[in-house]
Amino acid sequence: MAFFEQHIHDEPKTFLSKYIISFDHKVIAKQFLWYGIFFLAVGGIMALMIRWTLAFPGEAFPIIGTLLFPETGGVVPPDTYAMLFTMHGTIMIFYAITPILIGAFGNYCIPVMIGARDMVFPTLNMLSFWLATLSAAILLFSMFTPLGGAAGGWTSYPTLSTLIGSPGVGQTLWTLAIFVLGISSTMGAINYITTIITLRAPGMGYFDMPLTVWGLWLTAILNAIFLPVLGAGCLLLTFDRVFGTQFFLAGAAATSGSGDPVLFQHVFWIFGHPEVYILILPAWGIVSDLLSFFARKPAFGAKATALAMTSITVLSTLVYGHHMFTTQMSPLLTQTFMTLTMTISIPSAIFFANWLGTIYKGSINFATPMLFSLGVVFVFGLGGLTGLHLGTVTTDLYLHDTYFVVGHFHYTMAASVLLGGFAGVYFWMPKLFGTMLNEFWGKVHFWITMLGLNGVFMGMMVVGYAGMHRRIYDPFVYDFLQRLIPINTFITWSAIFMGLGQIPFVINFVHSVFWGKKAEANPWQVGTLEWTQPSPTPHYNFKEIPIVRCGPHEYGNPNLPAGRDFQYQTEEIV
Amino acid sequence: MKVLFSFYLFLTAKLFAAEDGMSFIERISPPEDISENGHLIDWLFNYITIMDAIFFFFVCLGIFGFSYLYSAKRSKRGEYTYGNRKGQILVATAIGALVFFCIDLNITRIANNDYVGTFINWPKADEDVVKVQVLAQQWMWNVRYAGKDQTFNTEDDVVTTNDLRLPTGKKIVVQVLSKDVIHSFSLPNVRRKVDAIPGRITRIWFQLKKTGNYEIVCAEMCGTAHYKMRGEMTVYSPQEYQAWLDESQSIAVAENDPENADQFWGWKWEN
Repeated sequence: MAFFEQHIHDEPKTFLSKYIISFDHKVIAKQFLWYGIFFLAVGGIMALMIRWTLAFPGEAFPIIGTLLFPETGGVVPPDTYAMLFTMHGTIMIFYAITPILIGAFGNYCIPVMIGARDMVFPTLNMLSFWLATLSAAILLFSMFTPLGGAAGGWTSYPTLSTLIGSPGVGQTLWTLAIFVLGISSTMGAINYITTIITLRAPGMGYFDMPLTVWGLWLTAILNAIFLPVLGAGCLLLTFDRVFGTQFFLAGAAATSGSGDPVLFQHVFWIFGHPEVYILILPAWGIVSDLLSFFARKPAFGAKATALAMTSITVLSTLVYGHHMFTTQMSPLLTQTFMTLTMTISIPSAIFFANWLGTIYKGSINFATPMLFSLGVVFVFGLGGLTGLHLGTVTTDLYLHDTYFVVGHFHYTMAASVLLGGFAGVYFWMPKLFGTMLNEFWGKVHFWITMLGLNGVFMGMMVVGYAGMHRRIYDPFVYDFLQRLIPINTFITWSAIFMGLGQIPFVINFVHSVFWGKKAEANPWQVGTLEWTQPSPTPHYNFKEIPIVRCGPHEYGNPNLPAGRDFQYQTEEIV
Repeated sequence: MKVLFSFYLFLTAKLFAAEDGMSFIERISPPEDISENGHLIDWLFNYITIMDAIFFFFVCLGIFGFSYLYSAKRSKRGEYTYGNRKGQILVATAIGALVFFCIDLNITRIANNDYVGTFINWPKADEDVVKVQVLAQQWMWNVRYAGKDQTFNTEDDVVTTNDLRLPTGKKIVVQVLSKDVIHSFSLPNVRRKVDAIPGRITRIWFQLKKTGNYEIVCAEMCGTAHYKMRGEMTVYSPQEYQAWLDESQSIAVAENDPENADQFWGWKWEN
């Protein structure tokens, strides 16, 4: 569909219409950002409680322990522990990373980077945020129901998640919360896809879009296809719990006919594997762009990077079975999924070649966003490579459900995505809030985070290979795990170190938002469309819709006049 | 900031010099391999790790090397190239192809050979194997051996709880089922695990080479007391095992109550 121009409406005047029920993509982006940061803190504190329990079993959690668990004197009890790791996973994936990377950056970056005045469906956008809030309210409420919140792991495999394993209403509410969130994200995804197809500024072909937009677009496509699958699974599970159907019951528990608990695993992982890429693709896009922006050099093989991201998107839908090797699928399926999983490393290797190619012979400015981007390359390297151990069926027979898996997916889904998100926050801060974040404290934040997370996740892989399995309240019940106490203590201290390292960020962020130094229009000297406008991005982004005349990565062209090494996308290549 | 980093260094140092005198390598090694085929998994793990290390070495060389060489201080202006020249595309493609054919396909081939040739190469029906049925439930392992009649689910079966006894030197086939939720029957010392699923019998075969006492782990989250779902595995020499089995079988014949329906949780053994 061809491009069309959106109308400009008057700026909303009341507090309610400006900040609460807002149709403006920039405000919705900020709403999602605050929402995500809030849940990042909640999920982070849960992670610290989990780590504390593993390193110091039977000792009271400091400061807030006695407040939260008065009946045990501050020690996390086993049933609460199960709830904590379930909620930590759920919150971090669906309520922290998704809103920050997809909700905030998706909403903010897509229109301003493609030269549109807003999303194509502003009402849908507003509904998407408020449904996400409803879902969050259900989830938070579920933790205070009589038998506690969901405690079957974020994967919530039946039959543990049916009435047999968790009779409390908490699990039902959890399932509903995820269902509602699925609707919200699907709405967002449809909006993103349509916006990118219909509202690109005149002259902007698909390969003239910044790679950030590519990443967000592919993410939206995966979301639109696969979140409904998760929604269907959640709905069937709710039916099993509430209406007495037996989709996922089998054996003695199935009184009339028989379903199959493994069916849920299929449904869950058909969604669950693409979910990994849903989370990482925006971060890849951001990193691919930022490496070029701060190395002052065109992105190396930008077209190849975009195509590699696309092929990963396709491949990610074909490999989900590697999560289920231990359920003893047919050998043919096992072999197929293993081989398909391995093919993902071709596009991944092309990424790495292109990322390193981008900084090769550049002129690198190590500002905070660049540090975080280089951090992503490092941690994603570790995370991606350790995936080989798990995609290989025989080694997976040993490593499945150990901490090796936990370490691996935290490297890919938590560390890389989080660093990518931070890079984005530091980079777009001037456009989002019109102020700069403090560089010194940004660098402190980077180094603490980087050291801490490697200590945590590397440590997890080490204990996992040594045999410690996941989701256990007290690993030292087992004799052969006794020797791992010192390593677990080390991991926990690293986690605390990393947790404390986020305090400078929060202070820096809040301070900048409200009292920060005003930013110039283009402090990073970057040529994509949002930087042609003043900071913060004005109401309706572009008074005149820009006409795009060159790609997003025009740096270091020798024909440019002296003193200038980049050009805007609105300018003809010199 | 310096305080923070020195604190972190102190932690790292403490890790390498823990009180119990165990070396770091010993601490992070997987539990002892007592099976005939576990070395295949260990070998492949190490192989993949080495391949990863080589690849990651080059990534790090790129990240740190280029960061050093091409920082704005040393390199005033970036090179103006899109990376779409023939030579550049060729290099990127070559890296992708090299990784895929030399590392991935090789790993896939080895894993596939091990998997098909060993781990799912089930003993033939007429082979003399030790047969065991395991029923997982919240939160314990029920173990069943066919009694003197060699038929499962009859009144002379030997039934134990959280107590699996096996001989060395003979193939062992374990059939696993769950009564309530999904569990995972995991033997870290054998490097293997298989899920215990309600309504679906899964199986696992292995052969042991070392006697001693080991642990059975439940590897799949199965509820609040999941962490306590621990079983004992005792590995005997063939003679000791026969002696134990004979004794247990006579006790079972004398003490099992045929009227007790709960006792017949077993199933018909099919290959």
